[in-house]
Amino acid sequence: MLQKKVCMLGSFSVGKSSLVRRFVESMFDEQYHTTIGVKVDKKVVNTGGEDLTLVLWDIYGEDVFQKMRMSYLRGMHGYILVADGTRRQTLEDALALNDRVVAEIGKVPALLALNKFDLTDQWEIDPAREAQLTAAGWTVQHTSAKTGDAVEKAFLHLAQAMLAK
Amino acid sequence: MSAKSIFESFLAGQGYALFEYLGDGDFRLLGAWPDWCASIWGAQPNSDQRIGLGGKSPFLENFLVDAAEFWRTRSPGSVNSGNWIESGANGREIPLEASARSLDGKRILLLQNLSESFGQQQQWFQTARNSLLEHEKLLKEIQKKEILLHCIVHDLTQPLSAMNGVFNLLNRENLPAALRKYIKAGERESQRQELMIRGILEAFSSDLAAQQSRETSAAEAPDLLACAKQAIEEFSPAFRERQIGLSLGAHAGDSRGWRVVGDSSRIDRIFGNLLENAMRYAPKGSTVTIGVENHDEFVLAFVDDEGPGLPPDQRPDQLFALFSKGKAHAGKAGLGLYFCKITVERWGGAIGADTRKRGGARFWFRLPRAAQSTQNDATAASRGKSVDKEKPHTHKKAEKSLRILVAEDAELNRDLIIELLKKRGHIAIGVTDGRRALAALEEHDFDVVLLDEEMPGMTGLQTTAAIRRRELITGKHQVIIGISGHATADDEHRFREAGMDTALAKPVEVKTLYKAVESAAQNLHSTAARSQPQHTAEAAAATAPAAAPSLAAHAPADSSANSAAENEDALSHLRRTTGGNEKLIRSLAATFLADAPKALARIRGAVAKKNAAELASAAHLLKGSLAIFGAPKAVAAARNLEALGRANNLREALASLRTLESEFALLQHELRAIHSAAKPKPQSPASSRIPAKRPRQKK
Repeated sequence: MLQKKVCMLGSFSVGKSSLVRRFVESMFDEQYHTTIGVKVDKKVVNTGGEDLTLVLWDIYGEDVFQKMRMSYLRGMHGYILVADGTRRQTLEDALALNDRVVAEIGKVPALLALNKFDLTDQWEIDPAREAQLTAAGWTVQHTSAKTGDAVEKAFLHLAQAMLAK
Repeated sequence: MSAKSIFESFLAGQGYALFEYLGDGDFRLLGAWPDWCASIWGAQPNSDQRIGLGGKSPFLENFLVDAAEFWRTRSPGSVNSGNWIESGANGREIPLEASARSLDGKRILLLQNLSESFGQQQQWFQTARNSLLEHEKLLKEIQKKEILLHCIVHDLTQPLSAMNGVFNLLNRENLPAALRKYIKAGERESQRQELMIRGILEAFSSDLAAQQSRETSAAEAPDLLACAKQAIEEFSPAFRERQIGLSLGAHAGDSRGWRVVGDSSRIDRIFGNLLENAMRYAPKGSTVTIGVENHDEFVLAFVDDEGPGLPPDQRPDQLFALFSKGKAHAGKAGLGLYFCKITVERWGGAIGADTRKRGGARFWFRLPRAAQSTQNDATAASRGKSVDKEKPHTHKKAEKSLRILVAEDAELNRDLIIELLKKRGHIAIGVTDGRRALAALEEHDFDVVLLDEEMPGMTGLQTTAAIRRRELITGKHQVIIGISGHATADDEHRFREAGMDTALAKPVEVKTLYKAVESAAQNLHSTAARSQPQHTAEAAAATAPAAAPSLAAHAPADSSANSAAENEDALSHLRRTTGGNEKLIRSLAATFLADAPKALARIRGAVAKKNAAELASAAHLLKGSLAIFGAPKAVAAARNLEALGRANNLREALASLRTLESEFALLQHELRAIHSAAKPKPQSPASSRIPAKRPRQKK
C-alpha cells in the first residue's frame, strides 16, 4: 500500500498532538500534555477510491527550550502547519518555521490548520489576515481537535494534494 | 559467567539494547533482548538472525540514514537521534533514544529506554511551557486593563479640560488683578491635576509597552543633542523666573552623531522631568547644566545642578521607584522619575543619579545609538521635512468667483473647505447632508456642488442620483464633485458611474481643491453649448472635465505625501493644507478640541457595548476630522475601527481603540499648544503667533 510521510509542525501548545489523536483515535483530552520528542502514528485513508497509509510524525513544538531538527523532515511528502487561532503569535511563528522548512526541504504539499476554532470568543486571527494567507497560496482550515471539526477534512485534503503531486 | 556477558547484562539492566550494524540495513543483536524491546517488537530474534531495524520503526529508519553517514565517514564520538516514542504492549508509551558509535572497528547502535528519566524531563518541560502560556495570558489581561485605564483617565480628564477652557476664557476678561491671580492659581492647579492623571496613565500603561519592541524606524531616530537644546529653549523662561541659570554643557563633536534609539517626544519628557526635578532643588543664583556625551555604543545625557545633592538616607535607585518623592521638596506624585526609568529601560538604556564631587546632583540617562543607516535616513527625512515646512501656499484670488455648495457631515472638514474656498474669493455655503443639499439646490443656483460620499440619511451617491433625475426636467447640468475618504481608481470609477463629474480625496488640500473646483466649472462654461442634459453614467464620464484632478490622480501623490509627511506634526500639516492661514488653523484646532473628544467617547461606548454600526459611524466621523491634521497613525486606527465596525468584527477593536486613544492624546497636546498660542499676550506681540515647533509633552 502506498505510504506518505506527513509531519505536524508548529509552536508548542497549538494542538498538533491533539489533532493527530483526534484523527487517529477519535479522542481528545482537555488537559495539555506537552510533547518533548517525536511520536509516529499511522492511519489508512481512502481517497479517490485508493487506500493510502499516512505516516504521521507528531514533532514537538518549537519554543525557547527546543528547536526542531530538520533531519526529522527527511522524506516528508507533506505537512500540516498548525497554529492556535487564539494566540496570534503562534501563526507568525508557524510561518517563520515554514520559511525554514521550505528553505531546507523545498516545496511540498502543505496545509495551514488554525486550530482551537471552538474557542471563537478568544479568536485572534482576523479575516483579513486569513485572506492574505489564502492569497499567498495557503489552504487554510479552521480545525478543532476538541470537537473534531474539519480535522479529518484537513488530513484528507493534504492526502489528495500529496497524491496529486 | 564471562566478563562479556556480565557487561551485556549490565547494559540491559540500564535500559540499553546493543546492536552491531552488518550493512544493507541489517543488524545483529549483541547481548540481551530487553523486555521493553519484546514489548515493542515482539519475541527475541535468534542470535545469528539479521534484524532489519529500519523496517521496525519509521523513526529509526530515518535516523539510520544519519547513523550510516556517521559510520561511513568514521566520525569520532557518536551521533544521537533525539527522543521518540514507541508504543509497547497494551499501548504503553516507551520513550527511546538511539545513538550510533564505533567500537573496536565495529559499527554499534545503542538503543536506550528513557522511561526512568523521561518523566522528570517531561515534567520540567510541562512546567516551563505552562508558565509561558500563563505569561501570554497575563499580557492579554494587562492589555485589557490598560484600555480600561485609558477610559478612566479620559473620564477624569474631561472635566479638567473644560475647567481649563473656562479659566482660559476668564483670563481674557478685563478683571481686577487680585481676581486674575486667583484665576491663575485655579488654572495652574487644574492643569497640574490633568498632568498627574496623565502621568498615572503613562506609568502604568508602560508596563505593557515595555514588553513590546523597541525598534526605532529610520526616520524616527531622535537626536539627543537636539532634544537637549530644545529642552533648554523651553525651560529657560521658567528657570529665569526662579533666578536659576540653565546652560548647555560642552560636548565633543562625534562623526557618529547623537541619534539614539527611542522616541523624541518621550525624550523631551524625560529631559522635562529631570529639569523640573533640578529646578526644585537648585538654589537661586546657581546654574543647571544639561549636556550629552559619547559613551561608545551609547549616548549619555545629564542634568547637573548645584543643589544639596542626593538625600544621604536614600539609595540613588530608590529615587526612580514608583511613588518615590524627595523629603525636603515633595514634587508631584512621585511618577516623574519612575516614568523616566521605565521609558529609558524599555529602549535598552539606563538611568541613574549621583552626588557630584563638586557639590550638587547629576541625573543622567544613556540610550543605545541608533544604527548608522538609521541616522543617515533620519537626517535625510529631517531635511525633507524642514524643506517642506518652509513652503506655504498662497491664496491668490480666483479669476471668477463661483457659487459653491459644500455638503459634508463632518463639521471640521466642512468648515475647512468653506474657509479655503472663501479665501480664494468664492461664495461657499455648507450643509450637513444630502437632503439639505437638495433643498439648497431648490432655492439657489450653484456653479459647483461638493458632496461627501458618506453622509447620514442620504449619501453623496444617492444625492447625485437625485440631482441627475431632476436634470431630466430642468435640462441643466450641475457640476458635482465627490469627496471621498478613500482614494483609489475604483472609487473614482464608482463616482463617475454614479453621475459625479469628478472626485477629490480627503483630506482635501488647498491646491487640489482649487484646481478641481475651478477647472470643473471652467470646463462646464466652455462647453456651455451642451444642448442635452447628461443623464447617464457614460455621459457624465464623457463630460467630466479633463483638466480636473481626479481621485486616482491624487492617490499616489497623496500616499507619497503621506509617506514623506509621516513625521509631520499637525501644525506643519495644517500650514501646508491651509496655505499657512493661521487664523483658520486656530479655528480648526479649537473646533477639534471641542468636538473630537465627543466622537472618541462615542467610539469607546460603541466598543464597550459591542455596537458595530455605532462604531463604524463614529469612527468614520472622527477619521475625517483627524485627517485634517495629518495624524496618519490616528487616521489609520480610526479607519481600522470603521472597517471593523462595518465588518461587524469587534474582536480587534480594543487594540485599535488603544492606538487611536494614544495618537489622539498626542494630537490633542499639539492642538492645545496651537490653540493656546492664540491667547492674546499684550506684553509680547510676537507671542500671539503659533509656535513653530512641536510642543513638548510634559507630565
